[in-house]
Amino acid sequence: MKWLLCLSIALYLFGGFRRPLFIAGAVAELAYMAVRGAELGRLPLIGPHDTIAFFSTCCALMALPFLFTPALRDSDFFRIAASLLTAVTGLMALPFPAFNMPMPPILNTLWFELHVALAFFAYALFGVGAILGIMFLRTGDRNSLDLQYKAALVGFSFFSASMTSGGIWGYYAWGTYWLWTPKEFWTSILWLFYACYLHIRLKGPAWEKAVAWGGIIGFGVTMFTYLGVSMLMKSSHSF
Amino acid sequence: MMQRIYQNLASLTLGIWLIAGVMLFLAAGSFLQGEGSFINEVALLDWLREVPLRDSWWLWGALVLLALLALNTVLCSIESLRVKWQRGSFLVRIAPQLMHLGFLCIMVAHLQSAYGGFKQTVQVQQGSGITFPDGSNVAFIGFAATYGKMGMATAYSANLEYMAGNSRKSARISPNHPFFYQGHGIYIKDIAPPPQQAALVEIHKEPGAGMALAGGAIFTIANVILLARRRERPA
Repeated sequence: MKWLLCLSIALYLFGGFRRPLFIAGAVAELAYMAVRGAELGRLPLIGPHDTIAFFSTCCALMALPFLFTPALRDSDFFRIAASLLTAVTGLMALPFPAFNMPMPPILNTLWFELHVALAFFAYALFGVGAILGIMFLRTGDRNSLDLQYKAALVGFSFFSASMTSGGIWGYYAWGTYWLWTPKEFWTSILWLFYACYLHIRLKGPAWEKAVAWGGIIGFGVTMFTYLGVSMLMKSSHSF
Repeated sequence: MMQRIYQNLASLTLGIWLIAGVMLFLAAGSFLQGEGSFINEVALLDWLREVPLRDSWWLWGALVLLALLALNTVLCSIESLRVKWQRGSFLVRIAPQLMHLGFLCIMVAHLQSAYGGFKQTVQVQQGSGITFPDGSNVAFIGFAATYGKMGMATAYSANLEYMAGNSRKSARISPNHPFFYQGHGIYIKDIAPPPQQAALVEIHKEPGAGMALAGGAIFTIANVILLARRRERPA
């Protein structure tokens, strides 16, 4: 059923600048995730293929409400950038094989699924925030910055809830709510980064550019936390 | 003079710089922590005592900045409540301060675990047991495992027996379902393939767990309140 994922990527790449085709891409990707979930009998959240495809689906779903906001309804830039973000992450999932291995017992809990799903919702919103930051720096339109703040605030909320559910899972699974591993280091850094972002915004209009840049750099930190740590550093959290 | 020190300690700018500093120390720590580190094997304060400064400077740095950040958070919250007490709705005023409180609770939780945490890995055989400081014993009565098509254990568990007062009671542990006894958690980490009757078990004591959960819950609830209130007005 990988063709559903390929179809969604094609729709994002070649038609994502039109809202109905972006939505069609999101539906195809959701269908792919549903098929994978049905095959596995659980949320597809283990292994690089499933997690990156899940992340791509989250990017599409989190970008959708923004496509309908009055400030972005007519923005070609946002539609194209959101399509590219979703397509590129979808493409990254393709080279990895889709494993159908059974769920390791330690991961077989609702707390794990909640922890991972909420983290990906947050990552996707941080991605949307980065696009909006670029838009603000290009045009100076304050609506973009306001929307970036909303994306970051909701993303930060998801991420905080993910850390809490991860702590609960860790306590029941590993005996501790916290381990000093590279993933936890970078998770804390990411959380602190967005806490910092939300506080910098309180400094007022003189800091608007710094806020916009914060949203862009934050997505870089997000990608390093998700992919960089898993690929470059040894951690119990790696794929 | 004192007024100026107070204003600086309560300032948003200081908070931002402190957060940035903690991030830098943690980033350094993520690269400096080698595979041989035993930081997760002992309570954090024991690790800090045993490891030379050239290997732990990043954590000392982060701790100093976190202590200052805790003070800054408290003072900032007090100032914010003092200045904004008459303005806006009660929930909007209180929610960010509750988030700060949740953050502080999580820091206290880490301190509690860093001071009184305990971890030990034990290999147990059928019929053997773990003896606790008061002399009581938790015995491992039997093990069970189910294997998938690829030979991977898809489920496993251990049956335990222990004394509660004058009566003998039993319990079962499996991944994600530990057994708590005398403030310690008993976790099954792995099971030996048949015909062996043995398992790898970890004993944990995490004194900060309750406080961390309280902090996480306070933070999340306040965060949801803030989001709900912010939806009602433009950003």
